Amino acid sequence: MKKEIVAMLLAGGQGSRLYVLTTNVAKPAVPFGGKYRIIDFPLSNCVNSDIDTVGVLTQYQPLELNEYIGSGQPWDLDRLHGGVHILPPYMHGKGGQWYKGTANAIYQNIRFIDNYGPEYVLILSGDHIYKMDYADMLRRHKKSGSDCTIAVYEVSLQEASRFGILNTNPDDTVYEFEEKPAQPKSTLASMGIYIFNWGKLRKYLTEDEADPKSSNDFGKNIIPAMLKAGEKLSVCRFNGYWKDVGTIESLWDANMDMLSASNQMDLHDPAWRIYARNPVAPPHYMGAGAVISHSLVTEGCEVEGEVLNSVLFNDVTVAEGASVKYSILMPGAVVESGAVIEYAILAENARVGAGARVGADPKDAPDPAEWGIAVVASDVVIEAGRVIGPNTMVAD
Amino acid sequence: MKDMHGIIFAYLTHPKLKELAEHRTAASLPFGGRYRCIDFMLSNMVNAGINDVGVVMRDSYQSLLDHLGSGKDWDLARKRGGLRLLPPFGYAGPRRSVEFRGRMEALYGVASYISRIRQDYVVLADGENVANLSLEDVLESHIQSGAEITCVCTPAREGAVSDEAFYRLDDTGRIVDITVGLKDGYESMNVFLLSKPLLEHLLNYCAARSLYHFNRDVLQAMKEKLRLSAYIYNGYCARLISVTNYFQHSMDLLKPEVRRDLFPRGRSIRTKVRDEAPTYYSPDSRARNSVVADGCYIEGVVENSILFRGVRIGKGAVVQNCILMQDAAVKDGARISHVIADKQVTVSENHILVGHSTYPIAISKGAEV
Repeated sequence: MKKEIVAMLLAGGQGSRLYVLTTNVAKPAVPFGGKYRIIDFPLSNCVNSDIDTVGVLTQYQPLELNEYIGSGQPWDLDRLHGGVHILPPYMHGKGGQWYKGTANAIYQNIRFIDNYGPEYVLILSGDHIYKMDYADMLRRHKKSGSDCTIAVYEVSLQEASRFGILNTNPDDTVYEFEEKPAQPKSTLASMGIYIFNWGKLRKYLTEDEADPKSSNDFGKNIIPAMLKAGEKLSVCRFNGYWKDVGTIESLWDANMDMLSASNQMDLHDPAWRIYARNPVAPPHYMGAGAVISHSLVTEGCEVEGEVLNSVLFNDVTVAEGASVKYSILMPGAVVESGAVIEYAILAENARVGAGARVGADPKDAPDPAEWGIAVVASDVVIEAGRVIGPNTMVAD
Repeated sequence: MKDMHGIIFAYLTHPKLKELAEHRTAASLPFGGRYRCIDFMLSNMVNAGINDVGVVMRDSYQSLLDHLGSGKDWDLARKRGGLRLLPPFGYAGPRRSVEFRGRMEALYGVASYISRIRQDYVVLADGENVANLSLEDVLESHIQSGAEITCVCTPAREGAVSDEAFYRLDDTGRIVDITVGLKDGYESMNVFLLSKPLLEHLLNYCAARSLYHFNRDVLQAMKEKLRLSAYIYNGYCARLISVTNYFQHSMDLLKPEVRRDLFPRGRSIRTKVRDEAPTYYSPDSRARNSVVADGCYIEGVVENSILFRGVRIGKGAVVQNCILMQDAAVKDGARISHVIADKQVTVSENHILVGHSTYPIAISKGAEV
């Protein structure tokens, strides 16, 4: 049985700018938004767009991600034909190798895609928070008769030099791709989401692999090669919420965005649910003296203290007299009595002892230039009374 | 400890549950913010390593079927064994649509299922018990005491149900008398453990004599012939049989010791997954002393209440001492207290509804007030 489209999700990135948060997990497995992992967003988008065949390419620290995805049941991707498949690099007759680049990762899995005989392949990454209807993008791809359609997001001219920028004709076809241009000619940034006609992509992947000088990357090699050969490439504009969560700052920012009512990222929308592997925990409880305001709170939490402008994942404890402001508390984090957490991220099962302080309000920072989000890595215990300043990372 | 088979009786209804039992049996009554009563016994079985569970139902079981599905949320969607739903066959005779007269009659309807049980022991349990009961401890006690039937019971509670069975024990833990309604001794939780051969024998014995009542025809009638032992469960246990007692037991969840008893780490209670977003508290919200499930959107005041998944509380609304089931909505400016709102109930803008702790107002599923 053929599939019209197969999605390939690049989930092998280390996410090195998330530092201690990705010591033991790949970036797509980083918790986000009180209940999710980053990868839940592209996976849920696939399912909500009626794409039922997804390859997840893993390489860096895959264990937790493998376990998280499992059979794919939470996303309805446990299918008899298709469904979700974890695709690590593997050995074969001629030796085998690590994924050298994004294009090489797909190249090494040509046989996986061929199995389903698709007409189109959707390339995704596990780095962004967004809701997008890929089915709509596919409709536009077919209508335009392009060989490749690239989802683009309008950024400001100043930001444009941080992105891969697409320069387009009035009919939205692409004539040039520039990676992080110093003088951008356009503000259309590539979102790293591509739909290719599989036959075409297969050909370019094979040619690219034969070129020893290539860095085997979609943005650097495949797209320029296709443009050079005169293939038809189009852009598909996206104007919803889209955020990269590749740094501590942007991860914290994006979590805070989930608290704002006007963020276009309504997590409560039943028509476009974000699916996740649900923890098994009772409803959360807040005590008689608790204060919770402008926050997201998940099952299993016990709040006796104060929680303001924060995101609490499952099974978080905030004891009496403790205060949590503008912070992200990942699953199982514990804040003991009298402790103060401000502008901080506590990773899974981190514990902050009684009276300790983590992070600081930018207003109170001794040197505003040095201010930043404080991070406590998973399973780390901050002893009672200890003070962890802003812009500090505690890994052990 | 994989040597037990579970059978849950999920057909009982209690008239005093009134509006709450209009569309469902007691076992599928929503409880505790995100559960149905049956989740507790089902999870107790799964937590004891039981892989095969049969659920006996009779009427109004649509809600139960919808909730249990394939059993995957309890890890019971199995090829070998797993969850088996046991609805009645279409009776053509005059007994149609009459409740089972007793547990033995209910079991007799699934006799062929029972004959195929591959485990040595069978746990029979009512589906409306809210308790985190270690069935592996019950089995150990059963084996150690050498009992033929072990009956799980609990120290009689305040306001115990008068039509419940009570056990009087001797020094060795053997049950010497079983009474109904006298509140004498330990209160039965209607959880029984016995061997499969004995269960089959009792079924045949009762069927041949038109006996159908487990308490009367088996326990009371055979208490000298069979060795009946008690397993005393000292944790929190609720049995939901009336609107008032449903309200009081729900409010018990606001006590930390009750939550610790019902939801200890490592012995999770599983339920159907709904993929809700985390609950959102707006800047103007005020919430205290409440149990709140995922997917709620709170912009008003919530105190001493239990909110199920997907509840919405509007700006300026005040909710005190209430139980709001799945997807209930309290619109802006409404004030409600001592109300049990069933699923999808809407309380309109600025409306006021006040019940009392001894007489809470129950609102039927889907009603708009």
